[in-house]
Amino acid sequence: MRKHPADLILPALVLAAFAVAPFLYSNELMLFNFIAFLALAQGLNIVYGFTGYLPFGYVGFYGAGAYGFALAVMHLHAPPLAAMAAGAGAALLLAVILLPLLRLSGAYFAIASLAAAQAVYEVVSNPALQHITKGPYGVSLSAVFAPRFSYYVALAILGVAFALVVWLRNSRFGLALQAIREDPVSAGMAGVSVVRGRTVAWLLSALVAGLVGAVFAWHISVFYPDTAFDLGVSIFSVVFVLFGGATTLTGPLLGVLILYGVYNAIGITVPQYFQFIYGALIVGLVLFLPNGLVSLLTARGLRVP
Amino acid sequence: MKFRNLLPALGLLPALWGGAAVAAGAPSEIKIGTLYASSGPFAAISMPVYDGEKLWAKQMNAQGGVYVAAYHKKIPVKLIAYDDQSSTATAATLYNQLISQDHVDLLMADSGSVLTSVAVPIAKEHKMFLFDVSGTGGTFFTKDNPYIGLMAIPVSTIWPSAISNFLDDVGVKNGIKTAAILYATNDFTGTQAHSLAGFLKKAGKIKIVYDQGVPTSTSNYTVLINNIAAHKPDAVIELGFPNNEIAFLRNLQDSGDTFRFLFTVYGGTEMDLLLKNVGAAGLAGSYSYVPSALYSYKVNYGPTLAQYRAMWDKEYPKGSGVEWGSNAVYGYQACLVMQRALATAKGMSQMDIHNAVFALSGKLKTLDGTFELNSEGAQIGEMTPMGQLVRKGKHGIGIVAVYPPEFAKAKAVFGK
Repeated sequence: MRKHPADLILPALVLAAFAVAPFLYSNELMLFNFIAFLALAQGLNIVYGFTGYLPFGYVGFYGAGAYGFALAVMHLHAPPLAAMAAGAGAALLLAVILLPLLRLSGAYFAIASLAAAQAVYEVVSNPALQHITKGPYGVSLSAVFAPRFSYYVALAILGVAFALVVWLRNSRFGLALQAIREDPVSAGMAGVSVVRGRTVAWLLSALVAGLVGAVFAWHISVFYPDTAFDLGVSIFSVVFVLFGGATTLTGPLLGVLILYGVYNAIGITVPQYFQFIYGALIVGLVLFLPNGLVSLLTARGLRVP
Repeated sequence: MKFRNLLPALGLLPALWGGAAVAAGAPSEIKIGTLYASSGPFAAISMPVYDGEKLWAKQMNAQGGVYVAAYHKKIPVKLIAYDDQSSTATAATLYNQLISQDHVDLLMADSGSVLTSVAVPIAKEHKMFLFDVSGTGGTFFTKDNPYIGLMAIPVSTIWPSAISNFLDDVGVKNGIKTAAILYATNDFTGTQAHSLAGFLKKAGKIKIVYDQGVPTSTSNYTVLINNIAAHKPDAVIELGFPNNEIAFLRNLQDSGDTFRFLFTVYGGTEMDLLLKNVGAAGLAGSYSYVPSALYSYKVNYGPTLAQYRAMWDKEYPKGSGVEWGSNAVYGYQACLVMQRALATAKGMSQMDIHNAVFALSGKLKTLDGTFELNSEGAQIGEMTPMGQLVRKGKHGIGIVAVYPPEFAKAKAVFGK
């Protein structure tokens, strides 16, 4: 494993900043949302940045994690940390079920993953399953509501997501994944196990989204299927990664801090302008910086953490 | 002047000093935080509530502010409102924003159960009393949470008792034997549907031949109407949000199917909106709840319905794009309760506000009916009588109360 101190310093700084942030800024839920999107963007980075697969239905794992957590609390009366494991397990199970999707590629994969997420949503919100999932009537987990503790658990998950990306950026396995992304046939010919590589990246990415979904369920405690499977979660995550630049730690980080910052500054007070500004930003990005903000530096041969 | 003569005046000093201290401690404005949805599925029920709240705030400030007993003076109100765009995730962040950043004195929820649901744990966590305008979800009201009170409408379980009592009593006498229930699966109408089915089954006089929930996003009812017609029910009860009911009534007109008894929630409660989108022919003869926007209750506080309607029409004249309906009353009603609570609360702590609101229970009679809370903060007053929609002129529509007898202004007419 190659060593690049900046790959460790940057996540450490971000984690430290969010660890003290609740003492400086009291809207903890907004800070929590930043952490959740930072982790989701890094989770998406694992599968998109390193293998080139862009799952529009990434929210499916997030929703599975949220409902895995909720079901464990409601039916098994599991303590929150054990229920977190159930959330992660639900997302991993869904990822295993959806493994055949990896046989598709490009837009076909993106749309198929979206359809899969929608299918899971329809199952969860089915009124006939009300006795299990509460159907469309939503879940209330007030008994385990612990916003401060769950905030720091979310921060720990962000740390895990950072660690996974750092590992991939500095390991032979990460290099193998990038080789698969560039040319799977050549990578296979060179002895890289393409199927194994993609599967591991897919499962790791789902694990991160599942954990984030589970901690979201814990933190907010009241939610509906529409919230847990909100397509906006996927769209935001994808846009954040594309805006900043995939395969790096910095890119998704910049994407979240800038775009989610803009969302909170403008989108809340004047949502109609926000949509216009967001649209203009994305169009500008696609036209002039298709590889994201970090490409401004990487194009000059600089290594970006 | 001798010192002895100054004693009475000296005796007054502490009071004067205290009064001065209170005045000095009084804030320059009372901050009321709320959310509204300008877009999305809940915009139709949210915007009229917000318009009612804005109207109240404007009136208060025109009078020099709202009287706050804790400070013995009138203080201007500032309504801090954010647009949640019908998203619970956005709403959760914004409720936090109102409490933790804007430091509002009073917190009012957005309209409806879905957008209120996320406010309940947040308000409880911050020990902030939540003025729940129309979030009727049964799970909101628990013994361990004193930080909530439902202001403007009864909890969902109470609403359909009017329908079941009417059908079991008047309906059976007029040959109604079977019923179909079609509902949108959300807290508000789903709970009503389950309660209604329970009431009808318990009475055992009417057989339910069709009971189906559909997503709240449903916008085409053609197949569902065919399915209902195939069961040949005497009565059809459709419970949905305005968008659902507009689609249902349009599709029903197109299908040519008719039923002896047809009920919708918003035929009465948002009559203007439905009339504009469905037309008088699609509504005439159907039944609905008679909302406070269309029934004049005797008041002991605030304006009468006619007075409020006049204020509303002056503020939002025809063509302004703002619809009159029951939600227009709900927002104003929540503010009236707030106004009365501020005028009687001993302090401005959230428990003082809670105590003041609960002290009004059973005593406050406004344009929305009798305000009455149970011990958990759920509204059990403000009844919802049954009414029948009747034509007014060629294109107009009105509603007359037909049940229960103490509210009835006319006899119900059943279809053939």
